Amino acid sequence: MGPQAVQERLHYMDHLRALAMLAGVFFHAALAYSPLMQGFFPTADRQNSAGVDAVIWGLHLVRMPLFFLVAGFFAAWVIAARGGPALARQRVRRILVPFLVAWPLVLWSLSASTGWALENVQHPSAFLAMVREWLQQPDPPRLPPGTGHLWFLYYLLLFGVLHWVVRALALGRIGAWLVARHPAWLLLGLPVLLWPALASVSAPHPAPEGLVPQFWAIAYYGAFFALGTLVHARADWPERARPFAPWLALASLALYAVFLWRLSVELPGQAQPVASWGMALLEACLSVWLAVLCLLAGRRLLDRASGVMRYLAQSAYWTYLLHLPLLFAVQYVLMDKDWSWGLKFAVAVSATLAACLLSYQLLVRHTPLRGFVG
Amino acid sequence: MTLAFSLSGVGKCYPHFALRDITLDLPEGQVMGLVGVNGAGKTTLLRLLTGLAAPDAGDVTVLGHRLPEGQVAAKRDIGFASEDMRLYRGQTLRWHMDLMRGIYPDWSEAYAVELLKRFDLRAEQTLGGFSHGQRVKALLLLCLARRPRLLLLDEPTTGLDPVARIEVLEALADVLRDESRSVLFSSHNTHDVEQMADSITFLHQGRLVASADKHAFVDRWRRVVCQGALPEGLEAWPEIASARANGSLVEIKARAWDAGMPERLAAQGLQVQRDDPMALEDIFVTAVRSGAVA
Amino acid sequence: MTLNIPVIKLLVAKDWQLFQKQLAVCVLAGIVSLCFLGLAKPWAFYVGSLMLIIVMVSSACFSIATSLVVERKEQTLAFVMSLPVSPLDFTVAKLVGNLVTFLVPFGVMLGGTLAVVLFTPLPDGLFVYALLIFGYLLFAFSVSLAIAMAVETEGWATFGMIAPMVLINPYMMALTQVPDIKDRIGVDAIVWTTPAVLILSALVTMAVGLVAATAWRHARKPAFY
Repeated sequence: MGPQAVQERLHYMDHLRALAMLAGVFFHAALAYSPLMQGFFPTADRQNSAGVDAVIWGLHLVRMPLFFLVAGFFAAWVIAARGGPALARQRVRRILVPFLVAWPLVLWSLSASTGWALENVQHPSAFLAMVREWLQQPDPPRLPPGTGHLWFLYYLLLFGVLHWVVRALALGRIGAWLVARHPAWLLLGLPVLLWPALASVSAPHPAPEGLVPQFWAIAYYGAFFALGTLVHARADWPERARPFAPWLALASLALYAVFLWRLSVELPGQAQPVASWGMALLEACLSVWLAVLCLLAGRRLLDRASGVMRYLAQSAYWTYLLHLPLLFAVQYVLMDKDWSWGLKFAVAVSATLAACLLSYQLLVRHTPLRGFVG
Repeated sequence: MTLAFSLSGVGKCYPHFALRDITLDLPEGQVMGLVGVNGAGKTTLLRLLTGLAAPDAGDVTVLGHRLPEGQVAAKRDIGFASEDMRLYRGQTLRWHMDLMRGIYPDWSEAYAVELLKRFDLRAEQTLGGFSHGQRVKALLLLCLARRPRLLLLDEPTTGLDPVARIEVLEALADVLRDESRSVLFSSHNTHDVEQMADSITFLHQGRLVASADKHAFVDRWRRVVCQGALPEGLEAWPEIASARANGSLVEIKARAWDAGMPERLAAQGLQVQRDDPMALEDIFVTAVRSGAVA
Repeated sequence: MTLNIPVIKLLVAKDWQLFQKQLAVCVLAGIVSLCFLGLAKPWAFYVGSLMLIIVMVSSACFSIATSLVVERKEQTLAFVMSLPVSPLDFTVAKLVGNLVTFLVPFGVMLGGTLAVVLFTPLPDGLFVYALLIFGYLLFAFSVSLAIAMAVETEGWATFGMIAPMVLINPYMMALTQVPDIKDRIGVDAIVWTTPAVLILSALVTMAVGLVAATAWRHARKPAFY
């Protein structure tokens, strides 16, 4: 395969990663208007719509798996092109350092905006109301800090270490064997592998924001990271999987409908601390199949260079790092407004994206920061 | 004339062995063969030359650097391979080559690959699977491919099968074609020394027995067969290393044969029947048995 | 005495590569034990913390064993010494390599333990007690390292690794005999008593001193033999 072909493959992977990250902005913004999250989400708004739930949970099931798949692909690519030590240096520069710097800033800004909301918002979410009550107590316990929405950086570092362990112990043969088989092995086998992991947490699965790594998150997201490295090793796997795309699409549509129906019945909360086995299997199948469908679609539709996509791809990391505190701040302010959820959503997303892209253009694009987060 | 190394009055004491009063030079571009029995001090001498051991007396200067203070600079241009050196069994030869390439800027990958072919070694094989001969060749490859100015080899051909021995000697001969590079190698195999060395040094019980140009040895040592009776005190002559009666013949091994010897022997009642040059092995054994002579 | 930094870095990298497989197993076990801690159940917490201690001790032992004991046994020392390094470079490389291999998981564990003590319902008095235990582990490691660098035989080096670790139990019992320390463990406040400060500073000083003395002793040698 010539160097130009290699570059083209990387285009669509880069674009997929950017879209996954930008989808996160939409997803987190939409959570405020989801009836399902009314009881849990800090910025849950009194304006909400069931239509939101119909869309965002599909996004939730594919967004981060796709991101980790692409991350695994690129990790394997860097190792093949420049060696293990180069990957380690790149991880330190682009993941560890931004994580260590952004983490306290994100935590501080989130607690500052939440603090403001606790004081000032007249129509608080259930979460804010609960915290208000809690703070009235004489000795409120200190909660251990989590990683917030930067958990993906934390797990990227973990997967980098685990990738090295696999290489050092020569365990990669298992994966190589699997990906050489008929694609059905992976398409049917991977959901079965992920099933127990997803059955050990609630449905829809949470974000692993704790400081201590979670078995289920390593299994779930790690499997997609591993799949990405395997797709890099066997470049023809996507082509071999393409014939199954129509079936995967039909099956996903059907399963998603079932999933939404079950979600309305098995509401997350005290009564359902962990997902039922059925729900877990639905989530596993949907995650795998939707991620593969996105991979195939990306290959067909996004594999050309485009100025706009390139700019979005380069700004996606910075945008995603910044977006949550900004989004929360905007949505806390919007909580007291009497607008429709659609308008609030549009304003929240536009304001957040505008601020992120503007700050990217001014603070990152033409400065040394670009080497870290650009 | 620059010297590859220069030892002056060097001594090194260990609890049960001592190297004493070693004065030795090697001009650049020359090959010196070091011959001695086990325990003579060859390895100690080589360690002193690489800076691995510090002398208790005297001065050691290698490639212009005083040792052991300048050992780091000296070792950059020295290639040292000894019998007690082992490589990492769990790692491949390629790993060792990469290690060398990272340390020595003069490492020549092309030459290394050529040596791999000549020595019939596989770079991707782990050292644990190498035979003794392959290990020796691997060590030599790692030395030679970085083109050191001075090669110090402790018994490079010992324990090698005939084919491997020839491969090693040929590779060494290539090194020697470059006149700025010097070699000191120790060996039991006097044939190799005879073949390759320009100068020869005999070491015995920690002392320098003899050190001279190869031709000087060959010219000066003679095995002489004389007719007559062995007179008293003949062995006390400084030029005579050993004298033995064999019936009516007397076999004399002389260390400093000159044209006037037959006359002097005749004056003692010995008629010279024939005189032959001696093989190096014979010279060595005779020199050792007869005691230390400069 | 000047240090040949590029070669030292290469020597440290070489030692690290030599015990990469064992290190990978230790790292994997470390991640698994952290996950056990994350399960937030008492039995899982016990299993996880035990595994973490084992990982820390075994990675230190593997590191010392491969870089010092095995190298001597397999006679690869002669090969390393023929490279352009001085005894000082060699000593520094061994010390740095082993210290980093120990201090990284040690630091992670220490930070994690102190964070767990502070942020969970566990009494904060454990903060001082935990520091005393970790201080001892640091001292035990420096003893193992110093002995391994000094002795020629595998037997004594192994003894030097096991003995300090085994003595941790008597040490912990001795700590509980000191009323000032024992009484503060269950208290939910960080109190620095004189015995605690003295013991901790003695341990850290001795550890640092041992490493420094080892470095100085080996670096002073003009030549390897």
